[in-house]
Amino acid sequence: MHISPETRTSLLFQLSEILQPEQLLSNKEELRPYECDGLSAYKTLPIAVALPDTIQQIQQIMEICCRNNTPVVARGAGTGLSGGAQPHEGGIILGLARFNKILAIDPDNLTARVQPGVRNLAITEAVRQHKLYYAPDPSSQIACSIGGNVAENSGGVHCLKYGLTVHNILALKIVTVEGDLLTIGSNALDNTGYDLLGLFTGSEGMLGIIVEVVVKLTPDAEDTHLLMAAFNDIEQAGNAVASIIANGIIPAGLEMMDKLAISAAEDFAHAGYPRDAEAILLCELDGSTIDVSEQTQKTKKILTEQGASFIKEAPDKTQQAKLWAGRKAAFPAVGRISPDYYCMDGTIPRKHIAKVLKHITKLSTEFDLRVANVFHAGDGNLHPLILYDANKEGELEKAEQFGAEILRLCVKLGGSITGEHGVGNEKIELMCEQFNTEELTIFHAIKAAFDPNGILNPGKAVPSLHRCAELGHMHVHNGELPHPDIPRF
Amino acid sequence: MNNVRTQLQQRVKTAIAEKTPLRICAGNSKECYGNKIKTNHDIDIKPYSGIIHYEPTELCITVRAGTRLAELEAELSKHQQILPFEPPSFTQNATIGGTVATGLSGPRRPYSGAVRDAILGVTIIDGQGEIVRFGGQVMKNVAGYDVSRLMTGAQGTLGILLDISLRLIPKPEHNITYQLPHSQQEALEYFTNTRHSNLPITASCHHKLQTYIRLSGSEKQLDELVKTYDIQTMEDGDDFWRDIRDQQHDFFQRNDKPLWRISCAPAAPLTQQVDIRTLLEWNGAIRWITSNMPANIIQNIAQKANGEAILFRGHVAGINTFKKPEPTLFRLHQRLKRQLDPKGIFNPNRLYEGL
Amino acid sequence: METHIKKELENTIDGKLAKSILRSCVHCGFCNATCPTYQLLGDENDGPRGRIYLIKQLFEGDGSESTEKTRLHLDRCLSCRSCETTCPSGVKYGALLDIGRKLAEDLAPRSREEKKKRKRLQTTLSSPKRFGTLLKAGQLLRPLLPKDTRQKIPKKRLALECPTTIHERKMLILQGCVQPALSPDINTATAIVLDKLGISLIHHKKVKCCGAVSQHLSSEDKAITQIKNNIDAWWDDISNGIEAIITTASGCGVMLKDYPHYLREEGEYLYKAEIVASLSKDISEIIIEENYTSLPIKKTHKLSWHSPCTLQHGQKIIGYVEELLTNTGHTLLPIQDGHICCGSAGTYSILQPELSKQLKHNKLENLTRETPDMIVTANIGCQTHLQQGTEIPVVHWINLFI
Repeated sequence: MHISPETRTSLLFQLSEILQPEQLLSNKEELRPYECDGLSAYKTLPIAVALPDTIQQIQQIMEICCRNNTPVVARGAGTGLSGGAQPHEGGIILGLARFNKILAIDPDNLTARVQPGVRNLAITEAVRQHKLYYAPDPSSQIACSIGGNVAENSGGVHCLKYGLTVHNILALKIVTVEGDLLTIGSNALDNTGYDLLGLFTGSEGMLGIIVEVVVKLTPDAEDTHLLMAAFNDIEQAGNAVASIIANGIIPAGLEMMDKLAISAAEDFAHAGYPRDAEAILLCELDGSTIDVSEQTQKTKKILTEQGASFIKEAPDKTQQAKLWAGRKAAFPAVGRISPDYYCMDGTIPRKHIAKVLKHITKLSTEFDLRVANVFHAGDGNLHPLILYDANKEGELEKAEQFGAEILRLCVKLGGSITGEHGVGNEKIELMCEQFNTEELTIFHAIKAAFDPNGILNPGKAVPSLHRCAELGHMHVHNGELPHPDIPRF
Repeated sequence: MNNVRTQLQQRVKTAIAEKTPLRICAGNSKECYGNKIKTNHDIDIKPYSGIIHYEPTELCITVRAGTRLAELEAELSKHQQILPFEPPSFTQNATIGGTVATGLSGPRRPYSGAVRDAILGVTIIDGQGEIVRFGGQVMKNVAGYDVSRLMTGAQGTLGILLDISLRLIPKPEHNITYQLPHSQQEALEYFTNTRHSNLPITASCHHKLQTYIRLSGSEKQLDELVKTYDIQTMEDGDDFWRDIRDQQHDFFQRNDKPLWRISCAPAAPLTQQVDIRTLLEWNGAIRWITSNMPANIIQNIAQKANGEAILFRGHVAGINTFKKPEPTLFRLHQRLKRQLDPKGIFNPNRLYEGL
Repeated sequence: METHIKKELENTIDGKLAKSILRSCVHCGFCNATCPTYQLLGDENDGPRGRIYLIKQLFEGDGSESTEKTRLHLDRCLSCRSCETTCPSGVKYGALLDIGRKLAEDLAPRSREEKKKRKRLQTTLSSPKRFGTLLKAGQLLRPLLPKDTRQKIPKKRLALECPTTIHERKMLILQGCVQPALSPDINTATAIVLDKLGISLIHHKKVKCCGAVSQHLSSEDKAITQIKNNIDAWWDDISNGIEAIITTASGCGVMLKDYPHYLREEGEYLYKAEIVASLSKDISEIIIEENYTSLPIKKTHKLSWHSPCTLQHGQKIIGYVEELLTNTGHTLLPIQDGHICCGSAGTYSILQPELSKQLKHNKLENLTRETPDMIVTANIGCQTHLQQGTEIPVVHWINLFI
């Protein structure tokens, strides 16, 4: 989308009438740091960055942008890994980092009302005094914002037992594309009407702007135990995962790392991971003391049966925090062994873990790129980190092709191209592989109900039918497209 | 079954072509839950039944919408698994399709989630008569909008459910139930306290000055709890919860007055009123009321608790099952309905008048 | 991150250093989470990740994009290096910022007015004599000054008698430039405690400022001269096998430990700087190795511990002082956001008064929430800055050991 200098000037003027000078960035130098989010491979400069600090300002910004047909890309902490907050060249970035207040904590009802820019971990820190915490814990929880978590339906290491973001929020305040303020969901456990809360969660900023979130809090477990099991064979580790679940145990977290990831994480966290192991499993069990001790015994037995070469137990918080620290920082820690990495996020049914891992190893040789594997093994969510060097010509493209191969395999095995990072800009073309024309048409219909002119985060999450057709995935029936009224940009 | 599927699709395509609204039905066990649909055209999902895919180690099952809950639960029980939301079967004919379409959960809901929390994927016939699939069999899946959740509780107004994938949980080895003599206020306080505890509670209820709590877990774990807290267990605990779930309990059996369901934050304060009978469920987040009091008083009670009152059963002049949402929100509902069901053939007015 | 340093800088020492640091950043954004200015301003440009980006532009672009705005965002950085503690990729932000600031100065020079102000500050602060004289005048006039100015001038503190015994074990001490005037008690307390532990201190009159003040005020040449002067003054003792060089202000301590970075282009001095850095120890690092529990403790207190950024992030000394104080019977109160800067940050409180004030306010709220008997810290800058906003005494922890 090209934008004329006149339109740009007029837009900036309108925005400057409602924003203080330091809330509106428009010169290139200050826009540059906004040109990408956590996925730095894709960059675009926006026209401007707006940094409102009241809901009313957000409403006014939406009114202006709606009137001018200006694309709006909402941005929280900018830690997303799929380019979801990558700017639109003809639009503005709506930065919500100033909305970083916790508005209310209700320990009786186990809820907290927070602004969208509040960091995930800050919620847990604020409610710790009540012996509560916010359960979803993406690895970037120290930095990522709750608004972004909702937009991406973020997961984390504990969602096997405690669910994703969608299971842990109760209500949202949103500003619609027209600038209306709306509450969806409530503090009750049950709502009538369409599940717009569910629909909004994971909608990647395509349906409205999240301006307030009511989150569900979870009481601290009476007891927590962490087991680390080392395996000399990655396939054994995969089978151990399936076996734990098959035995009726739902661990709070069940994570897997391969050799390369182990060594990178160990360099940063000094967590005490065995560098010689082919894979490690981190298995956290929580609940009442009796429950935990029973589960621990069972799990240890299973791990041993499945061939664990070594099991380390971390019964107290300090030791557990140390073991987790390595896992949580595993992604950026890979930055120590490679200048760039490309992080994939496919999901597969658990039983296929070993198979997929083998295939990834094979692809790694074929593409001649190293891979560090970090998984949420318990829920079949893979995070292969493909290591490359962006300064070397052609390496990014090679990494992208490699990644696409992995995701195709995930779809083939009944999984998904993204488990928690979102489609964003990065995986948009692969959407055509997971969904057919009719299904994509439904997505476009939903989008049209909320944002008829398509100004919210255009070009992300759902590919235009046109784009899929170009890629050879569109099946046009009798020369007619379904929903001819839907804009196909 | 492909045959049945094609027939259903054909029915929808014809209805679209002729613009004749359809009433989607199967077991009819929850017929009272929603507005009457004015049409002579029923589309019966019952014949489309059976389990498509069940792999216990994946904690996931895919079933056809017409499958009876009883049949589904029997199969799960063989593998020591259950549906996390413990759905009600008001009659033996209740189906999984109806359960998902109405979004009704049972006693376990506050502890292991609602229907919408367990839904992993759906296949539906959409408003174009196409068969489309969303979600899948994995818990983590954020590609595209969450159409599966949108369908849950939509009362069939956005499409016809065909196949449904659900997340399962291991069946607890044992359950015990105990009773405590409590006023309603004391019950609410007790619920609030236990919410912060690590007790393995899986159901809670208060009725007629008694609090009922169900604990689930391994035999050893429950034995320890019984000893520690000197718990007197109820003999027929399982029957009690089944009766509450399926509304066979005495409280639900009196049909002389309308039955209201108030959904609110669990610790919301109680509004004491004469001439109402109350039963609390879900830690206090569901407050069943039977009363002849005027609707506005009941709605007032709900509003004071920041909640919502549903006319679950019975007739009150001028009152629909669900209260219409505020205008901006209702407009969004209408826009979604128009986009997904442009010819307005799926269960018109079932959820709200004019939808 | 992908990085393409422009031709003319590619082969310079700074260019190479910048490249290697930029390449280690994966743009994850964890750093913003613990950045004090990002928390206050919510602008990517005012967080480490954005500043790294701005610096990247300085090294990559043709210079047309980088203006005084870049300089402003870099100026707003406290150099607290909290981000370095958070960074899982090991990005050496402090070093990058340092070379970035220099380049920003060149591309967008400061106004004459601004330059003068900085020059004035630098000459006053880094000379103990000049600063001492001015401070004395200020303290004399204190009751007559307007409140705002008055708050900035600390009350007079009494110096204690220094021990005169000469022990076999000897260490060098850096007394600092402003500390002797502002809080002479710290250096004497240090001398008394070490005397009891059987260690004598050597102070060289030639050593005045560690160089940090000049560094903060972007006169790097001046800083390098000061550093070299200090190294020369210490060199004989170092050659004779001195045990350590002690700093009691963590701000000076981190500077000493960073000498090799500042002398990276200075050939033979770089080698000497490395030795100085390795000998340089914060007083807590010394005491913790000694039999400190044998020291007589007069009274135990309820304390709020403020760990200076230069101690916890700069020198990565975490838990030492806490251990020293708890093991000698004091009670340490829990402090929220202990990793966040108090806003003092060297000359920051003078150059960025607004942000500094806000940070001080937040910090004091967290430090005084549980009403401590006193606030203890380990850096003269933090101590003076915090004392301006509270009646509760703010002291160096070493004072509790005499």
